[in-house]
Amino acid sequence: MEIITALIVLAVIALVCAVVLTIAATFFAVKENEKVVAVRDCLPGANCGACGYSGCDGYAKALGEGECDNPSLCIPGGADVAAQLGEIMGLAAGDVEAKVAYVACNGHCKPEDRKYVYDGIQSCKAAKLNYSGDTACTYACLGYGDCVAVCPKDAIHISKENGVAEVDPVKCIGCSLCAKTCPNGVIHMLGESARVVVKCSSHDKGAVTRKACDNGCIGCMKCQKTCPQGAIKVENNLAVIDYDKCTGCGACHEVCPVKCIHLENFVCGTHF
Amino acid sequence: MLKELLYIVLVGVFANNYVLQQTTGICPFLGVSKKIDQASGMGIAVTFVMLVATAVTYPIQKHVLEAFNLEYLQTIVFILVIAALVQFVEIVLKKFIPALYKSLGVYLPLITTNCAVLGIAIDNLSYEYVTNYGTALLSSLGVGLGFLFAMVLFAGVRSRIENCPSPKAIQGLPITLIAASIVSLAFYGFAGVIDGMLGMA
Amino acid sequence: MNKNSKLWIVLKGIIAENPVLVLVLGTCPVLAVSTSIVSAISMGIAATLVLICSNTLISLLRKIIPDTVRIPCYIVVIAGFVTIIQMLLQAFLPDIYTLLGTWLSLIVVNCIILGRAEMYARKNGPLDSALDGLGMGIGFLVALLAMAAIREILGTGAINLTALGMESITIPVLSEYNIPLLTSAPGGFLVYGILIAVVNMIGPKKGAEKRKNFSCEGCPSASICGRVSCSENAELVSASENNTLVENKTEKEEA
Repeated sequence: MEIITALIVLAVIALVCAVVLTIAATFFAVKENEKVVAVRDCLPGANCGACGYSGCDGYAKALGEGECDNPSLCIPGGADVAAQLGEIMGLAAGDVEAKVAYVACNGHCKPEDRKYVYDGIQSCKAAKLNYSGDTACTYACLGYGDCVAVCPKDAIHISKENGVAEVDPVKCIGCSLCAKTCPNGVIHMLGESARVVVKCSSHDKGAVTRKACDNGCIGCMKCQKTCPQGAIKVENNLAVIDYDKCTGCGACHEVCPVKCIHLENFVCGTHF
Repeated sequence: MLKELLYIVLVGVFANNYVLQQTTGICPFLGVSKKIDQASGMGIAVTFVMLVATAVTYPIQKHVLEAFNLEYLQTIVFILVIAALVQFVEIVLKKFIPALYKSLGVYLPLITTNCAVLGIAIDNLSYEYVTNYGTALLSSLGVGLGFLFAMVLFAGVRSRIENCPSPKAIQGLPITLIAASIVSLAFYGFAGVIDGMLGMA
Repeated sequence: MNKNSKLWIVLKGIIAENPVLVLVLGTCPVLAVSTSIVSAISMGIAATLVLICSNTLISLLRKIIPDTVRIPCYIVVIAGFVTIIQMLLQAFLPDIYTLLGTWLSLIVVNCIILGRAEMYARKNGPLDSALDGLGMGIGFLVALLAMAAIREILGTGAINLTALGMESITIPVLSEYNIPLLTSAPGGFLVYGILIAVVNMIGPKKGAEKRKNFSCEGCPSASICGRVSCSENAELVSASENNTLVENKTEKEEA
């Protein structure tokens, strides 16, 4: 008899729970826009904000509700996601150029040239507040790893050799979180097809750069004169590459006297 | 009377802190205390669920299980009810307070398996100061606030540990646990303070 | 050792994947119950029994339980076995029953048991699942025992056996220089932290640093990560690293 009461009580409690939940699920069901849900499921969910919206939910809402008509904004997702989103929304997917983060600093500030010994909170933002950081060059990578902390894919690390952040282009998903975090703006987002990069951010005059760093761009204009495509220009004492024109011939790399122009292959992660 | 009610809440928050003195709910305490906003979100969600769980399990124990002499079904009934309840709260929040759901939603499913919630539902039945429905709810509220307090406090401590260099072997979890030990030691000092303060000793 | 052998399934729970010291699951009972050796052993055995039974049953039912409601089903199965153990202890070892108190009911929400159901029993046969439960249970027991031995012997300088109806053993020198702190909650955190640090130091280091992480239960990015466990995640990461290396090689060869 007791077994039966126990069974009944347990069954009744379970039944009440089940009924309440079922009722709640049907009556309180939130009507979600099907397209928003479908879009959200396609997105990678890294919530990086590279699309310009507040995370994947934000982009899914904007796209699903028609506020935005560009299905190719998700950079980590790349062409695959863009094609899927285009299919869901019935929009033509544009090309998504996969992007990679790139640290434009050679990191050859000599340790003995540090302006002062920084012993505060180990963060670039904090170090930057003290007289623009402890590095001799005010445009340099500070090397306290704010970018490492934000990277969702563990793709950026502070190099042990020269204390400068280094991106593993194979792991990098191009979310640009590191570029947004860097207080010195040393990290740039480049298209994956870029083959030539200027590994320096210094806008100082040549002599000043020279003093702080062996490999900083001194703005000598040699590359600008050499480039057969006219794709490289020295602006404000720093060589800047126009990737629409650049063919990746490497002529500038050959002539650069300080070797701050590097040849890269982001797709397979090799560099010279 | 008011003094006794205050006593129940304060004991739950300080002297009988569920995380730091009873060592329940350690998983979320270690897992979700890296950032202060997440820690407070988790803490609020747990407080809320504890309150609702007690509101439901206490009458079930008194009016169903004890009435039918089925106290041995306590564990299975309580966990069942709490699991259903968490799901219910999730559905209701999603419908009526979507903003709150967005900030707490992630934590709700994890709370089902938080032993502090089941712990307080069961412990409430044996505490001397829990005499009726009202005091049971108050006791849960106190314990929930204690959980929130410990989470927020520890999130602050942790953010400081992250900025300190420590030997390789104790990096990560070991140093976190040792820090928890010191925070817990601080709470150890509350034993007796509440009784003395309110003249209940 | 052959990683598919039955022995390995048991052994990995004890050493390589010790649930308490390596996977860091079920921390709450470890801290609370390791104040005395007797309660640690009884808790360990109780949890092991529940783990074996629930793993076997869940593995048998794995094709019947629908995916969407699997967690509530697992919890009910586990709660059933916990109630059985509770009743057995109450009948035959009432002293132990009062010693463990609430913690006996709280085996239901022990992450190890639900975790093994979700990670292992759901995907493997009943025999393997039972062995996995045995291994994990013994691993839990060993870790608990290690903690309890340190805490009780150094903390009180004696081994309390009154719950078993025997006289306590007093350890000569230690009982005069005992450290009462170790038997309280702060001592629990401290000993646990140091034990994990020791395991970190002497534990197997396979190439890259092994990610020691909390269970997915408490993990704030569980919804993003989509993996079942962090160890699985680490495996996937290393596997993908190997793949990219291979890809790089072939690309270079082609070039």
